[in-house]
Amino acid sequence: MAIYILRRMVSTIAVMVMVGMFVFLLLRLAPGDPAAIIAGKSATAEMIAGIREQLGLNDPLPVQFVHWAFGILRGDLGISIFSGRPVLELISQRLEPTLSLSILTMILSVLVGVSFGILAAWRSGGFVDRLLTAFSAFGYSVPVFVIGYFLIYFFAIRMHWLPVQGYAPIGEGLGPWFVHLVLPTVALSLGFIAFIARVTRASMLEVLSEDYMRTAAAKGASSYAMLFHHALKNAGVPILTVIGLSFAWLIGGVVLTETVFNIPGIGRLVVDAINNRDYPIIQSVLILTSGLYVLINLTVDLAYTLIDPRIRY
Amino acid sequence: MTITRRYLMKAGMAAGTALAMPSILRAQTSPDAARTVRMVMPDLTIFDPLLSISDQTYMHSLAVYDTLFALDAKLVPQPQMVGKWEISEDKKTYTFELRDGLQFHDGTPVTAADCIASIRRWGQVDGGGKLIMERTSDIAKRDEKTFTIALKEPLGILLDLLAAGTNFLSIMREKDAGRPATEQVTSNIGSGPFRFNENLVRPGASFTYDRNEKYIPRQEPAEGLAGGKVVKVDRVEWQVITDQQTALAALQAGETDFVLSPAPDLYPVIENDPNLELQVLNTSGSDLYIRMNFLQPPFNNVKARQAMLHLIDQEAFLRVMAPDSRFAHPVTSLFGNSTPYSNDENTGWYKKGGDPERAKQLLQEAGYAGEKVFIFQITDWAAASNAALLLADTLRKIGVNVELGAMSFGEFTTRRANKGPVENGGWSIFISDWSDYNFGDPIGTSFMFANGDKAWWGWPKSDEYEALRAKWVVAETLEKRQALAREMQGVWWDFVGAVMLGQIVQPVAHRKALTGLIAVPDSRFPMWNMQKA
Repeated sequence: MAIYILRRMVSTIAVMVMVGMFVFLLLRLAPGDPAAIIAGKSATAEMIAGIREQLGLNDPLPVQFVHWAFGILRGDLGISIFSGRPVLELISQRLEPTLSLSILTMILSVLVGVSFGILAAWRSGGFVDRLLTAFSAFGYSVPVFVIGYFLIYFFAIRMHWLPVQGYAPIGEGLGPWFVHLVLPTVALSLGFIAFIARVTRASMLEVLSEDYMRTAAAKGASSYAMLFHHALKNAGVPILTVIGLSFAWLIGGVVLTETVFNIPGIGRLVVDAINNRDYPIIQSVLILTSGLYVLINLTVDLAYTLIDPRIRY
Repeated sequence: MTITRRYLMKAGMAAGTALAMPSILRAQTSPDAARTVRMVMPDLTIFDPLLSISDQTYMHSLAVYDTLFALDAKLVPQPQMVGKWEISEDKKTYTFELRDGLQFHDGTPVTAADCIASIRRWGQVDGGGKLIMERTSDIAKRDEKTFTIALKEPLGILLDLLAAGTNFLSIMREKDAGRPATEQVTSNIGSGPFRFNENLVRPGASFTYDRNEKYIPRQEPAEGLAGGKVVKVDRVEWQVITDQQTALAALQAGETDFVLSPAPDLYPVIENDPNLELQVLNTSGSDLYIRMNFLQPPFNNVKARQAMLHLIDQEAFLRVMAPDSRFAHPVTSLFGNSTPYSNDENTGWYKKGGDPERAKQLLQEAGYAGEKVFIFQITDWAAASNAALLLADTLRKIGVNVELGAMSFGEFTTRRANKGPVENGGWSIFISDWSDYNFGDPIGTSFMFANGDKAWWGWPKSDEYEALRAKWVVAETLEKRQALAREMQGVWWDFVGAVMLGQIVQPVAHRKALTGLIAVPDSRFPMWNMQKA
């Protein structure tokens, strides 16, 4: 197991290096001059040239790459071209809102999605199943910004129950932090609930039709024992896989939700950085995201051994 | 242990208190909500006014720093930090004495040395500042409060340049202003009416400005960016909400008091809400224009450029750029609609509906032979993108071979630098804008240069116009500059340095409880004078 983990960790570093090189080249080859964007639309050629020189953008690409790569090895993610502040500092400031939203969304999605999936499988073909299937189709097909605006209109503008927008850091109190995250979490969760519920239902249906489930029923096992002790554990591997994938997608997919609810997270940081051609920020976030993606997959792989003793590494 | 109902209640109350404690403590140290104004503004990433000419950096600087002279509502420079000033008889030496009681946020007094260092740093970057430095033989300190600018030759517009820099002339502490102009000053310590609260900086979310209790405002009433900067609230919270719909929702819910640039399609919603109001504060607005490439066919021919002048129907363009006609106006003067130099010289080309037949004839006279005309369509700027679409359609109707290049602003900036032919990645036309009031400054507004290779993008060239422009700096009075403006405009519309598409005025949206907002002929909004009912 330890050797397996070590091997995966090494492969994670390799993936991050490849992503880094790819992103570096891709960004440099893409049209768009960060110096011109910083200078603004009224800037003169002289102003832009001055900024290019100052930012080192006139250096040859290999020089820029080596400079950046050595910085990364030292743990220095570089300086934001646009704001002149350390990238590490900017990412740290934006990490908390994104992680808060992602974790709450995942908790809600897993609790509700798995429950809905089990319920739908248990009552397969019945009214509850059809209702939950319809809900899944709705949650999966309605864009997050439509749900977001609806929630804002109803719960914030009409009812005044929750804030429209913004984020309160956890250091300012759990209450304000949670209150600001309720609407974005619900909006973002609907799609994931639908996805997890669909997979859970399918997986549970497959397991429930197995012979050993019939045997359990014949032995007089209660519905609770059948569903949660026998079926769910055996249906767990695909469910765990989609949860892992969902979490990884979530990290990179919160942009719209952060925009609609005005949450200053990583998603908005990257979108702004792309618009401004702020290379160091884009590169750093993509490298970190790719690393996180690989680590989440590793965690999921390791978690398989907990629910299926046949799996060994 | 038995869990009783009483135990549960106690535990619940204790947990609730613990959860609420940080907010309670924060509330005790925060100003009263009625004394805090929350404003939706653009994101702020650069804090040094010499490193960015963006409106947000300028507005931040207006709050934190004070300046020597400022423009009033009529765009006339008025003293701000300066108490007394005089010009020598030969008009070559200006003496400035600072007002009493000026001090930086760290408690140190503002001195002549701070002003000199700030002018020198500004003079390395700002167009007007560079001109002052070129013409200055010495800037010297007389005493702690007095300094002089000695010129090699008279410079009639010196005060205008000090007041109306494209980069804000912020008076910083000497130790900050002593840093290279290419290095960002991040201390944010000025002597302005607001103190920047570094502890409450939340990048991408909000910035906080506290009232500077020690600021001594001028006695005159606030007018434009000049006059008394009286802060009537304890705190201004600068909020960054990028989504327009969310910003409006926050305004409706009372989570913010002010939105600087609401989207035009939301105006009806704002006007139908009894608590909200649309108000034009920026009386100058911005003028959109077509800039042609003087170096490549067909617009290297003056007749082709004149064809564009006759072709454009400003009303039609304004309809696609600003759907609400209350906030859109034609503009025919090179000097804009709001400046004291706006005039009607040589504007006979203007015709409602445009004159496509005349344009067609002029194109023929230019010898247009079907060369490809490449128009930039900047997709992340709705007004310019719509105008580009209409322009392409209008040109195709008179037989011009148009290629529309849809791209982001970032891609546009790269291709625009290409001076070559369209076939080699060059271009023919781009659409952009400039604040209307800037057209009153032909020295600092690079759009108004016509010195060929040294000119702004499009590289227009007219020696006759440039000779007139050179006289601007020595014209001492408003009347002399107004006469010169007529002459310059006469020449400009003959060689057609650009073609105007119209003026758009952007109203702000705010809650009706917020009053005292200052109208400025500028896109940069000052945060003083306002208050909440």
